[in-house]
Amino acid sequence: MTSIRALTGACAAVLASLCGFVAPGEAQTYPTRSITMIVPFAAGGPTDVIARIVTSHMAQTLGQSIIIENVVGAGGTTATTRAARATNDGYTLITGHMGTHAASVPLYPKLAYHPEKDFEPIALLAGTPILILARKDFPPKDLKEFVAYVKANAEKVNAAHAGVGSVSHVSCELLHSILDVKPVGVPFNGTGPAMNALVAGQVDYMCDQIVNAVPQINAGTIKAYAIATPERNPSLANVPTTAEAGLPTFQAQAWNAMFAPKGTSPTILASLNAAAAKALDDETVKKRLLELGSVIPGPVERTPEALAALVKSEIAKWTPVLKPAS
Amino acid sequence: MELFANLAHGFAVAFSPINLLMCLIGALVGTLVGVLPGIGTIATVAMLLPITFGLPPVGALIMLAGIYYGAQYGGSTTSILVNIPGEATSVVTAIDGHQMARQGRAGPALAIAAIGSFFAGCVATILIAVLGAPLTKLALAFGPAEYFSLMVLGLIFAVVLAKGSVLKAIAMIVFGLLLSMVGSDIETGASRMAFNIPELADGLGFATVAMGVFGFAEIIRNLDAGAEMNRDLVQQKITGLMPTRKDLIDSAPAILRGTALGSILGILPGGGAVIASFAAYTLEKKLAKDPRRFGRGAIEGVAAPESANNAAAQTSFIPLLTLGIPPNAVMALMVGAMTIHGIVPGPQVMQKQPDLVWGMIASMWIGNLMLIIINLPLVGIWVRLLRVPYRLMFPSIVIFCAIGIYSVNNAPVDVILAGVFGLVGYWLIKHDFEPAPLLLGMVLGPLMEENLRRALLISRGDWSVFLTRPLSAVLLAIAAFLLVLTFLPMLRAKRDEVFTESEN
Amino acid sequence: MADTMGHSATATRNTSVAIGFCLLAVAPQIFELIWSIGTIFGWGAGRGPLQVVAAHATALVAGAPAALLAAAGGDTKKASSDVLLALIYSYPLFAVAILTIFMTIRSAQDYVGGIVLMALALFALWASSDLQGMRGFSFGAGTAPRMFGGLLVALGAGIALTGLLADGPAMAHYSWRGPLFVMASIVFFALAIRPLGVVVSAFVSFLIAALGTHETRWVEAIIVGACLTLGCALLFPYVLGLPMPMFPRFLVQ
Repeated sequence: MTSIRALTGACAAVLASLCGFVAPGEAQTYPTRSITMIVPFAAGGPTDVIARIVTSHMAQTLGQSIIIENVVGAGGTTATTRAARATNDGYTLITGHMGTHAASVPLYPKLAYHPEKDFEPIALLAGTPILILARKDFPPKDLKEFVAYVKANAEKVNAAHAGVGSVSHVSCELLHSILDVKPVGVPFNGTGPAMNALVAGQVDYMCDQIVNAVPQINAGTIKAYAIATPERNPSLANVPTTAEAGLPTFQAQAWNAMFAPKGTSPTILASLNAAAAKALDDETVKKRLLELGSVIPGPVERTPEALAALVKSEIAKWTPVLKPAS
Repeated sequence: MELFANLAHGFAVAFSPINLLMCLIGALVGTLVGVLPGIGTIATVAMLLPITFGLPPVGALIMLAGIYYGAQYGGSTTSILVNIPGEATSVVTAIDGHQMARQGRAGPALAIAAIGSFFAGCVATILIAVLGAPLTKLALAFGPAEYFSLMVLGLIFAVVLAKGSVLKAIAMIVFGLLLSMVGSDIETGASRMAFNIPELADGLGFATVAMGVFGFAEIIRNLDAGAEMNRDLVQQKITGLMPTRKDLIDSAPAILRGTALGSILGILPGGGAVIASFAAYTLEKKLAKDPRRFGRGAIEGVAAPESANNAAAQTSFIPLLTLGIPPNAVMALMVGAMTIHGIVPGPQVMQKQPDLVWGMIASMWIGNLMLIIINLPLVGIWVRLLRVPYRLMFPSIVIFCAIGIYSVNNAPVDVILAGVFGLVGYWLIKHDFEPAPLLLGMVLGPLMEENLRRALLISRGDWSVFLTRPLSAVLLAIAAFLLVLTFLPMLRAKRDEVFTESEN
Repeated sequence: MADTMGHSATATRNTSVAIGFCLLAVAPQIFELIWSIGTIFGWGAGRGPLQVVAAHATALVAGAPAALLAAAGGDTKKASSDVLLALIYSYPLFAVAILTIFMTIRSAQDYVGGIVLMALALFALWASSDLQGMRGFSFGAGTAPRMFGGLLVALGAGIALTGLLADGPAMAHYSWRGPLFVMASIVFFALAIRPLGVVVSAFVSFLIAALGTHETRWVEAIIVGACLTLGCALLFPYVLGLPMPMFPRFLVQ
């Protein structure tokens, strides 16, 4: 396996370097060599998995390999800074998400980039719904009781989250600002340890992305009160939406989207958007994303304009919620 | 009986040609990754994730698992040969392992590491199969308070393993704790002592500091004038490749105890495997008739931690296989690999994916067998490497380390930082400070601080939780007991020093 | 080393140790000054060299005593970072340096080792001085760093004390050639890997590192270096699949 990989890799490298000499007019023939996709999170995480599924199909469309480079650190802002400063030739892209391209603005006052000013939107890839989860013996039975309980016992309850700036942290901050409570937030190093604490009953509740939670909910080790999307999710058909359960204002989704550094040529952006759209229409890609519980954006939502609007509205949404926290 | 049926099913899965091949590839790549300084399992598993796209899920996971425990075999190699621990778990192996190599006994050290790892791997695999489900309770019983107490115990281990002055060892632990504070604060996200350097925003990497204070510092010291003589001496002294009868008899109980400790501590998410190797070493040193041999080439000091870290590497699969919760970064990647294949692990993964779970368990035993078959003959080759003139060896190690550190985060700053820590390490050697306690402090520091803060957040500032929770209280009691044991002989310490001095 | 052990401490030696500590006391300031020279050429952001000198000089000479007096007078106005550096880091070390002159050092290895550790801890205390402390029952970001910093100051002092009370080894001999070239090789690799790729940076770094010893035979080193480079170029990007540039960027594009 490794030797095959070595061979194909070597061939690809030779080809790429040859093409590089032959075709300098890149705008027409883009891409002429492999593209680097920066993923600002650890390999294997939700954003990484989505990026890998989509880019592996895009690579076929574009006829060049897309190399994923996982750069972790500071809630993804280290990698995003690097992407913002990369050459805008279309060969360095980034798969950002709600945290790096919206919530980071109020969270990190010294942020070295601005999601709107330093990036060209390419396409929205997939949204991951957020659930309100609790340990299995937490007294409230449904969302209404949960709201009442948390409001009454704000001094006593503990909310777990996967670290400052993580999806679980910011989404719970939104929930708390809607409920106007300030419970103690217990930070963990990533979703795994946080889920472990919830299953073990050491903390009371948390807000987390659907991917990690589905098997635990199905096994009854934790319970879910509601899903913060307009519609129910097929992988958890019996979990009501926040609107159905009586808290319609709590809407949150961890969206993942592709960006290029500012000033990338419009033709390159167009071909990348087309390739991404084609990938999202592919049946295998769709199936894999749906298995993850993701929501696949429709034809309108996946345009660059829609993504630009989304980034703008998300920054506006998170700024008042997270400003006092930092 | 169900167990045998399950295991038979597992072996049937694991013995399919494709899975055997995957297991072999995993074991080979794992050994390679372990041997190459700097390149960690996390980076490699992450890089190999995309190629598992095209593989059947069972084969893919068997391969990734092979890389993980294979690296535990390989990790001891550089620790012993050139005093560079590739993984946090092989830091202690370097202490006595490298001393053995300097005495010309690199062969027995490497062999005993492989044999210990094999034995531990076999026992731990059986443990996963038989007791996996009940042991899960242990992982859930450990809350923040218990972790904090465990970390305190871990730091006491670091004091005990010091061979010189206890005061200096404590200072090194605290220095390590201080270094571990660099980066963002877990609770507030505030940047601590990072001086606005983006690469420091998430703290100093373990590999960076370990390569520096062990690897680069060792090289710089060996280049000192007058050090040539020592090196030539080592090259002439190389004796047998395989352990003698006496070596085997000496290390057998150490391997047994290491395996037991590693199996238990491995189940705990987080720093379990690291603490296991340190605990195993400490235990041997405390039980030994003559503790002064430790740090000067005692074979038990290699056998115990290597058995412990391999046992822990195996049992750390338990939370993943029974709860579906990844206990460490490598396991989180495996969850990623599973989700890419559409399998989301959870508490029911054993019932829903029997092929995957039992196939993987069976493959671990096969993988361990392959690893010992691969590693024992390699001992000869590794030892021959020591005969390469140092003038050619050291630039090669510098390059391997540099590429390895760079590859962890693709960050050039990390390489420079490792260089700076090389100078720090050189300074530490010159002032007779030991780097091992520093590294343990660095690994345990964040775990200790975070769990202390979590425990206090949950208890609303009530410090008594550490004593009212039974597990935590027991751990603290052991820690106190060990501390007393350590400080009692301090009164005699001066006399011991006189003895060692006159031996020289 | 055993022959230099013990009562080798003389007055001149103490003076040189004291001067060393004085230099250590202003090391961060000097480092910032060297760093700031880069701003003249437009590298990096920050204060220019003249500003750095002026700011630290005033902080050391005037700012810090003023802040001390103000604090004694019950005034809790926030001091600037430069003044804090002088107060927390430089002054204690100057004090140690002055004390050193009057001491009989019985083990320079322990004494100097302890003081330098103390300096590191003081520096960490300064670096974490802007972080929040305890808030009610919950730890602040700065609580643990300050706690461990304080502990290390005490431990460093303790080790230094043993260097005064008990006989031990003198300072070990440092060589310059090994550290210099190994560091140069590492720094070159770090700077070259992105623009120049694995092949060039690994080979050149190998040769720079080889300068670290007089034992090096050049023909042999070049051959081994080339083979090693080839091996690395195949091993890391292909066998292990690590993404890193192979050749210089200007050749590929």
